Amino acid sequence: MQPSDMNRNSKYRILIFLPLTLLLWLTSCDEDGSTNELDFDRKFMLTSLADGLIIPNFESLQTSVDNLSDATDDFIANPNEQELLLLREAWVLAVLDYQHCSAFGFGPANLPLGPFSTVLAVFPVDESQIALNIENPDFNLIASFDRDVRGFYTVEYLIYGKEQTAEEIVLGFDQHRKDYLALIVLELKSIVDQIVTEWKGSYRSEFIDNEGTSAGSSISLLFNAFVKDYENIKNFKVELPAGLTAGQSNADPTLVEAYYSGISAELLQVHFTNIINIWSGKTREGQDLVSFEEYLSVVVGGDELVTQTRAAILDIERAISSLPAGELSANIEDDAVKNLRDVLQANTANFKSSMSSLLGISITYSSGDGD
Amino acid sequence: MHYLEQQVSIAPLVVFRIVFGLLMLFSTIRYLSMGWVESQLIAPKLHFSYFGFGWVQPLPGAWMYFVFGLLIVTAIAITLGAYYRLTTVLFFVCFTYVELIDITYYLNHYYFVSITAFLLIFVPANRLFSWDVKRRPEISQIKVSKWCIGIFKLQIAIVYICAGLAKINYDWLIKALPLSIWLPAKTSIPLIGWVFKYKLTAYLFSWLGMFFDTLVVFGLMWKKTRWFAYISVVLFHTVTGILFQIGVFPLVMILVVTIFFSSNLHEQLLNRLNVMLGGGVLFSTSKEKHVLTPHQVNRKILYFSLALFFTFQVLFPWRYLLYPGNVFWTEEGYRFAWRVMLMEKAGTATFYVKDGAEGREGAVVNCQFLNMHQEKQMAMQPDLILQFAHYLEEHFRSNGMHDPKVRAEVQVTLNARPSRMLIDPSVDLTQIKDGWARKDWIIPFSKTLN
Repeated sequence: MQPSDMNRNSKYRILIFLPLTLLLWLTSCDEDGSTNELDFDRKFMLTSLADGLIIPNFESLQTSVDNLSDATDDFIANPNEQELLLLREAWVLAVLDYQHCSAFGFGPANLPLGPFSTVLAVFPVDESQIALNIENPDFNLIASFDRDVRGFYTVEYLIYGKEQTAEEIVLGFDQHRKDYLALIVLELKSIVDQIVTEWKGSYRSEFIDNEGTSAGSSISLLFNAFVKDYENIKNFKVELPAGLTAGQSNADPTLVEAYYSGISAELLQVHFTNIINIWSGKTREGQDLVSFEEYLSVVVGGDELVTQTRAAILDIERAISSLPAGELSANIEDDAVKNLRDVLQANTANFKSSMSSLLGISITYSSGDGD
Repeated sequence: MHYLEQQVSIAPLVVFRIVFGLLMLFSTIRYLSMGWVESQLIAPKLHFSYFGFGWVQPLPGAWMYFVFGLLIVTAIAITLGAYYRLTTVLFFVCFTYVELIDITYYLNHYYFVSITAFLLIFVPANRLFSWDVKRRPEISQIKVSKWCIGIFKLQIAIVYICAGLAKINYDWLIKALPLSIWLPAKTSIPLIGWVFKYKLTAYLFSWLGMFFDTLVVFGLMWKKTRWFAYISVVLFHTVTGILFQIGVFPLVMILVVTIFFSSNLHEQLLNRLNVMLGGGVLFSTSKEKHVLTPHQVNRKILYFSLALFFTFQVLFPWRYLLYPGNVFWTEEGYRFAWRVMLMEKAGTATFYVKDGAEGREGAVVNCQFLNMHQEKQMAMQPDLILQFAHYLEEHFRSNGMHDPKVRAEVQVTLNARPSRMLIDPSVDLTQIKDGWARKDWIIPFSKTLN
């Protein structure tokens, strides 16, 4: 080898090694102290959530809707006050179970009319349209696109009534009313059965295998549904009845969820529990799962967001537990309600924009700005 | 002047015309098949407009499809070189019209397409291998003035170099952000996915990307490095195309930079194409060598316009320097500057409306007015936040409010930093007019980059 060759060789070596050293130096002196290797198993997270949270929650809902359906049959066969109370109990259990599922309105729970919560859990219901439907012998629920004449809160309206005693309700249950109730409960049952069948069938593996972060991936679907569900608490369960939505000139207590039964605050609390379960990764019984919180803790900037979100969650839990005792509709203008809105609002960015940004989740299909 | 008028082979320009026409045909059909005409243009209740272009509105109902029909027809006509002047003008107008309807769909490559379509109007790219020559063989020419090809190269050079220079910033190079966010999200890509879990990969990509964008044009210009540069173009854009949701952009760049190849190569290509098409079908071999030399006065106007156009192109991306503060944060002077895939930014914007100072204040549910894409884009860009506030003012006024006041709480995260307030949440946005002046209602990104 000629001396000049050696020279050239070492020059090239410098050309290669200098940038490499620089890069290694840059990667090693990262002040976040985060690791140089980010290895999060999204598939594991999806499996954990599907098997530990989503499917069990839907199964519980299926069981309680089955019981609701049986109680409905019993009440229709023997319309008396005792059966009515049993039916109400069954309804309460079912609608509580529903709160543990409302955030999962994608995949099998995304119905032709939209996510199942927008079909089966719309409030307030349209009382006068329901009255018309009951009296209409040709009424066809399948052909009806009205969301506010069906689902859980229509059942509630029928079995709790408006300022009626149990006795009056039982007396008012003529054949048309019974038929309508049966129809609504049947629809509930068949939709929930269908969702569970699909989740336990092919959708589970479809969900787990679609492990990317692009639009349409399972993480993206779950994230979008989760954020939407969280915002629904603030927008529709708190702000709207409290008259805190733009354009409202006063509060309207009839707009609370579960107005007729008066269990709004309890439902709200259970609903938020499911939000926490999804974010932090917990089964309904409190066992650990892998979810967004753990995913966040391995990405750049994630630790700070986790700390911030945990604090915000505590604020919300505190605000929910300090809601005045008694029916929410009776206390809708209480400062505690406005306070709940404020702390829900303060956490929205943590869930909505910060989390998707740090995790690199694409939330829409539109093209981004190329490179 | 002599340099600009040197006569060179027309072949690269002709191939460029064909390639561009086909690309536009493909991307228009793709846009239609995605259902975006409906979801992006027709369905939204309101559109965010470009400053000064509020008058550009979508056509009612199916007429938008008529515009897309025109785009398809003109893209085909450009490919064939048919009724060239008319069809390039029509294409440019239709494309730019669609682009101007809603700024939330702003993409640098749409802007690039508009510019290219505009420049194509003024060059004789239909003078060979075209329907027009078939109709009127006397217009055929085999040489063109050098500027006719040079303007496209210059425009492409501006795109890459600006994109490269924009990457020279602290976050991109020293912290490998946003790639440190984006790449680890892509580990499930088959075969190459595992590479993205390493921090080193984000650094490598950041630095390589910066050098690539800044230097690739020089590599393309120099004969010795041209093939190497082109292979790197193909690799670079293919990889980014696989990684990111960026549509047709990679394909556009891979194909349009072929204009840098030698006339020889383009002539061979055209000859081969000619043979494939049965020979002489769309290819005139008119003996008359008709060379256009612009009129003395025209020439002055031409060169003056070109100089003006490119001065604008070179300077406009730097207007952000006239604004104080961080351009990523304020976005004053951010667009039309070839800043591509440069930052990870996202926001949550909550608007509050009340009637007069004493009115009851209520929050707006954004998704009742905007689609998800619009909401996402709006929530981090101050000028769009202002537009939406003005829309809300009008909306609530027409719903019976006397004096709607609108304010917004906007939390924004930039490159994985904790979210912070973007604008002053106490400012009544209805009192603010958009404009070129600096927006003093933006809360400065004062903390130095860390």
